[in-house]
Amino acid sequence: MSFALLAPLGLLALAALALPLLIHLVRRLELTTTEFAALRWVAERVRPRRRLRFERPWLLLLRLALLALLALLLARPVLMAPAAPTRPWVVVAPGVERSAARAAVSAADADWRWLAPGFPRLDDALSSERVPVSSLLRELDADVPAATALTVVVPQELAGLDGERPRLAHALDWRVVPGRMQGSDPAASATSVRLAVRYAADAEATLAYLRAAVAAWNLREPHRYELDAEPASAAIPADTSWLVWLAPSTPALVQWIEQGGIALVAGDADAEGEPIWHDGQDRVLARRLASGQGQRIALGGAFAPSDLPIVLDADFPDRLLAAFAGSPRAPTHAPAAAARPLQEAGAAGAEARSLAAAQPLDAWLALLVAALFLLERAVATRSRAQAPA
Amino acid sequence: MDAAAIPSDLIPPAVRARLRALRLTARSSAGGDGLGQHASRSRGAGLEFAQYRAYEPGDELRRIDWKLYARSDRYFVREAERDSPLTAWLIVDASASMRQADAARKDFSKLDAAKTLAACVIELALRQGDRFGVIALAEPAPLLIPPGSGPRQRDRCLLELARLRAAGRWPGADTLRPLWDRIRPDSLVVMLSDFFDDAAADLALRLSAARREVLSVQLLSAEERDFPFTGAHRFRDPETTAERRVDAPAARKEFLERFAAARAGLTRRLIAGGIRHTEYVLDESLDAPLRFFFAQGGSR
Repeated sequence: MSFALLAPLGLLALAALALPLLIHLVRRLELTTTEFAALRWVAERVRPRRRLRFERPWLLLLRLALLALLALLLARPVLMAPAAPTRPWVVVAPGVERSAARAAVSAADADWRWLAPGFPRLDDALSSERVPVSSLLRELDADVPAATALTVVVPQELAGLDGERPRLAHALDWRVVPGRMQGSDPAASATSVRLAVRYAADAEATLAYLRAAVAAWNLREPHRYELDAEPASAAIPADTSWLVWLAPSTPALVQWIEQGGIALVAGDADAEGEPIWHDGQDRVLARRLASGQGQRIALGGAFAPSDLPIVLDADFPDRLLAAFAGSPRAPTHAPAAAARPLQEAGAAGAEARSLAAAQPLDAWLALLVAALFLLERAVATRSRAQAPA
Repeated sequence: MDAAAIPSDLIPPAVRARLRALRLTARSSAGGDGLGQHASRSRGAGLEFAQYRAYEPGDELRRIDWKLYARSDRYFVREAERDSPLTAWLIVDASASMRQADAARKDFSKLDAAKTLAACVIELALRQGDRFGVIALAEPAPLLIPPGSGPRQRDRCLLELARLRAAGRWPGADTLRPLWDRIRPDSLVVMLSDFFDDAAADLALRLSAARREVLSVQLLSAEERDFPFTGAHRFRDPETTAERRVDAPAARKEFLERFAAARAGLTRRLIAGGIRHTEYVLDESLDAPLRFFFAQGGSR
């Protein structure tokens, strides 16, 4: 059990201790005025000595204690939770079977918990609420006392991560067991994407690049992307997410875009907008511009290696996806072995974490101050009644 | 309290009871008019035969002893030792220092004691048919009640005494001179003062030197006698309002020594001047100085 001050500057209020000292000292120097006719026989040189004696020392002590407690109250003292060793915690991430977790960890008296909001017991049912794993890990790190050993059982594939590996104060025992976390990633749970391509006859040869790109996408997220390549005359289906228009512009295209679609339009050199693709010579290959509620990705030339050399690049599928889907998101899925949290050795982190577990003493101190105040009043008035001035 | 309505309240009953044993006496009896209880050196009409003396023109014819004239054919006047009344003057110091009272008995100041003593003397004088007058040296003007006798005079004196308040300082010589003339030789003068002002002792000595019989009582408070103060005090002189800040316990020894020396010096001076002098401390019995002066067979 340890003791800390959240606002140590509050102790400056201890300077107020000088006040009662001065008051009691001044009272001491006050002289009793007495009428005394035989004054001339009183020797003048026996001046009263200014002795450092305080009147009513008990009252003074009470007042000093009262002020000291008030200063302490201003300094916001907290009582740290006792650092006594507690039962080790085994926290199981959703997606791991209970039996598998119990088999993986051999802890006799461990406290088994779910890695879920509130850290429910492993025997309890898991709520359906999804909170990112990284956040839960940080919360766990802050809530569990530093002395408690932490074992975290995670499936091979983790979801709900963010861009940074969690930095924790605890040295985690990171156990990976087979399993897969249910995708809590909104992108992962999204429905499939339909990419429609409408092409003029002369552009049919370039479809291969698009097919290759979509195949690359589907490699990462299997069966998610569907390519719908038709001649330009074909209608645009209603469930089309993205559109590639490799033909002269038509009113139907413009209308579709302005209703909120995202379309890549080839041969649109006059468009002005934010450049997104460049070639090696800083020539702008594609621009993005808003059009109605939708967006148009305008290519200066044809969708062909002659005008658009980057279709031959290895990262073209990524760039195309980024052009359609917006800025790339940080990966939320990772193999559990790669997402092992880092241990942070900094003392500041440990202190901040321990402060979260600190118990504020304000209420008790305030009670004590009130009691002392009452006592002080009682003593002050009583002695005044005893010795009327 | 309406002191003026019941002036006889000045004397506590216990003291009044003890007054019966006392008689106002003068060491040198003074002459005066009328009959009194005091032996007188002056000769005149009276009961106790003193002497014959030759007739002188102007003597009353009825005082000639005609039987002796028949025997000796000469006029003789028969003179008797005259029992004459005494004139008692009470000089009460009412300067501000007489306000002094003890903390233990705040409502009994030196002036109160002086008033009571004066009332006792007046009571004695009244009982013996003596004349008495009061002089109170008070601010702004001294109070003077010319001597007289009888209960009316007593009531007047007590009334004025009860009204007396202590204030101011000892009056200067100019104020005292007219009083000086009023006190005729051979009067009994009872002076009630704290004698803190040397002028008071001077007045007593001058009266004594001029053939007035002076009895003086120095009134002291118990605090002046014992100096029982503790802690630091700011002492204030009620007359000069001078202040002195003193650590009382440290000053006690020196004060007691100096004050005792001053009192002894005063006593010596007054006795050397032919004055009967005594001290009265406020916590003593009130009739102690009266017994000292007037007890039968005492210091007569």
